[in-house]
Parts: sequence; C-alpha cells; structure tokens
Amino acid sequence: MVQFQDLYDAIVTGDAKKARAATESAIAAGIPPMELISSSMVLAMDEVGRLFEAEEYFVPELLLAGRAMKSAMELLRPLMIAAGQKFATRVVIGTVKGDLHDIGKNIVASMLEGGGFEVIDLGADVSPEKFVAAVQERDPHVVCMSALLTVTMPAMRTTIDALKNAGLRERVKVLIGGAPVTTEYAKEIGADGYSDNASGAVSLVKSMVAA
Amino acid sequence: MHFKAIICQVMSREMEAAAPRSPHSVEIEVLTMGLHDLGAGMRSHLQDRIDAWDANRYDAILLGYGLCGRGTEGLRAGATQLVLPRAHDCIGILIGGHERYEAYFADHPGVYYRSPGWIEFQAPGQWLQPAQAAIKSTLGERRTRAELVAQYGEENGNYLFEQFSAYRRHYSGLTYISTGVPADEHCRAQARAEAEREQWAFEEVRGTQVLLEQMVNGDWNEANFLVVPPGATVRATLGNTVVAAQ
Repeated sequence: MVQFQDLYDAIVTGDAKKARAATESAIAAGIPPMELISSSMVLAMDEVGRLFEAEEYFVPELLLAGRAMKSAMELLRPLMIAAGQKFATRVVIGTVKGDLHDIGKNIVASMLEGGGFEVIDLGADVSPEKFVAAVQERDPHVVCMSALLTVTMPAMRTTIDALKNAGLRERVKVLIGGAPVTTEYAKEIGADGYSDNASGAVSLVKSMVAA
Repeated sequence: MHFKAIICQVMSREMEAAAPRSPHSVEIEVLTMGLHDLGAGMRSHLQDRIDAWDANRYDAILLGYGLCGRGTEGLRAGATQLVLPRAHDCIGILIGGHERYEAYFADHPGVYYRSPGWIEFQAPGQWLQPAQAAIKSTLGERRTRAELVAQYGEENGNYLFEQFSAYRRHYSGLTYISTGVPADEHCRAQARAEAEREQWAFEEVRGTQVLLEQMVNGDWNEANFLVVPPGATVRATLGNTVVAAQ
C-alpha cells in the first residue's frame, strides 16, 4: 500500500517529518500498528542496515533513520498500549559508568524501538547499581551495554558481576558494544553477545530472545 | 643507542623537551593528531611509519601513543623492537601513568581532559574532528554545523550537529593536565576559558614528562612500558598491564 511505501521511504531517507505524516495516514486508514511495524518499519531498518554494511550509509544516516523511526513510534506506541498490546521484548540499554558517549547507543535504542521492542534507555554514565535496579524493577529480557573508551570497558565486567551478585544474571541476556569492544572481550567477561553495528545488535537481540 | 620516536602531535612539546636530555640520540617523527578517529585505520597508518624505519637499524622504535582505543593494538615489530607506554591514551601518559589515570578518572566522572597539545594543535571549535582535514573520519561525520546543514538540510543538519555535540553537554568538568612546557601558561588560560564557556568546573592537575623521559632514556621499566620484541605484536589486555606482546 502507498502508506507503507511512504513510511518505508521516509525511514530509509531519514525524513522524520514524512515518517510522522505517513504514520498518521496509516493510523487514519485503520492500519494496525504491529502490521505497520512488521511490514514497513522492520524492512526499512533492514535496508538501512544493508546500506551501512555496504558503506553507503554512515553514522549520520543511521541517526536520521533512527529519528524517523522514533517519530513514527511516538504515534504508534500510545495506540498499542491502549489496545493492551504487550511488547514482545523489553530491553534495558545504557552506556557504562564513567562513559558519556551515547551516539551508538542511541542508534541501537531507536532501531530497537523501531523493531517493536520496548526500550528502557538509562542514558550514559550508568553505574552497575543502576543497571541492577533497572533489571529488578523493569524485568527486561536483554541488557545492552555500550562503552567507547578502553578505560571504561572494565565497568562492563563489574556490571555483569553486580548482576550475578544480585542473583539476576540468569534472568537476562547481556549484550555489549562500542568501538573498542570485541567478541573476545564479551567472552572474557561472560557477556552473551557482541555486535559492532546497530542492525547487528537488533538481530542479536531477536536471536537471543528467540533462543 | 639510536632511537626513532614516532609520536602523536599531542605530546610533541613534551617530547621535544624530554628528548634533548637523553644520553641517546632520539629522532622524532611527529604524526598529526586525531588518528584515533580512524578506528582500524590508525593501526595501518602507524604500521606504515614503523615499517618505513624498520630497516634503519635503530635500537628501538619508541611510540608516543597509548592503546588509543585499540588503535595501537596489532602493531607488529619488524626487525626493530617497539616500545609502547602502558597507557590507555595520551592523557594516561601525561598524567603520569595508567594507575594514576584510572584512579583520577574513577574519582572524577564527567571530566573533559586537556593538555597543552590538546589546546595548541586543535583549531577552536573543531573538537569533533581531528586537526587535519586530510584525515577521513570512519564515522562519516562532517565538522561544523554549517557543513552538516549543507549536506543534510536545515532540520536534519541541525539535529545531527546536536547529536554529535550532545556528549559535551554531559560533561561537568574540564581538567587541564599541565606538563611543564612553556606553552602551559597560554594553554591553561585557553582551557580555563573553554571551561567557562561550557560552564564546566575547571581543575588543573600537575602532569609530568617522566614517562617520556624514561622512554627516551631507555628506562623501559615493566610497570610503565611494553617492549615488543621483533616479530611480536601489541595486544590489549585492558587489565593492570593495559597491553602485552604476543
């Protein structure tokens, strides 16, 4: 349908205004939110990921696509909640203690939202205690941690240890990311997974939950 | 002994002060600041420079770098041993070592670091980008608000600029690491002015040239330096040793 193509195009081209307008039209036409998400937003996100892998899109394009997705979700989420729709997966995400960089984390958060996940974004400089509290209070399926500095990466290990000490480690999957982070480090600290790009992170969250 | 020092511009003043005091000959090659923005590209850039001097039979190639976001991980010593400070980055070197850095960092969250080189060799307002235009950023970022708006339009351009500069608003303090170079006075004043502009608390920490002195003196103590023997490569440990050779 035209609305779907409009929304798809708006997300891929990073046009938040058009994404909002297309979503409004779709809602007015009675399209169910989950249908909109699964048939156009998820596909748009896949395309954005492909373009990033192909090095046609860079971080700015990801940020703009994420913003377009968020503006669509702002309209859809209240409808979904009102309809009693349960979000399939809850994800807690944050940049670790001492680290204030959040662009990558923000991109992952907006792509997860666009993929129909419920995202609890704790922001930057998130202490292990704060991650633990969020797991206790919000009961997520996945915890995503980001770090951009090698000097803050050890906070990922401390946070996983804090989850263990609180008896919460088995309740969640822990995924990590950020420029200096690696698969080896994920294994070393007992994380469940690692991705070096935003759409990879989303795929990983999906596979972690499906497993 | 004869050393070749390949150093980041950020510590050029400090190195230029330390090198003449060494009993050894120290030839300094200065590379432009901001290589860490290249991501994996930093390593190949540095490796090219190391390889270029490898056949000259220096007793060692000294690297004026830290782990730098893993930019020095994977560097390989050819026929010449490499010496790398055990530090996460330049701040770790200039503040006096990775233990001091980690302790200060943990006690002072939300701090933006400056040293003389960070002030002197970065053009004003270019804190998002390396000093030299020729270095292409892996993130595909443009430098200024004007450039972003020119490429992405008014609304998207401004949004992107806000996103890329947002992390600066999370900071609450600026710490100036003074290193005893003549440029300190001028750079300290600039750093203080920057802190005022950004409404950050200003603090000065007495840094040191000691690690650079030890490096050019050939005092490569295990606590502060990694010596990479011929054929071995740099690996990040991220623990107490920061780096190791394998």
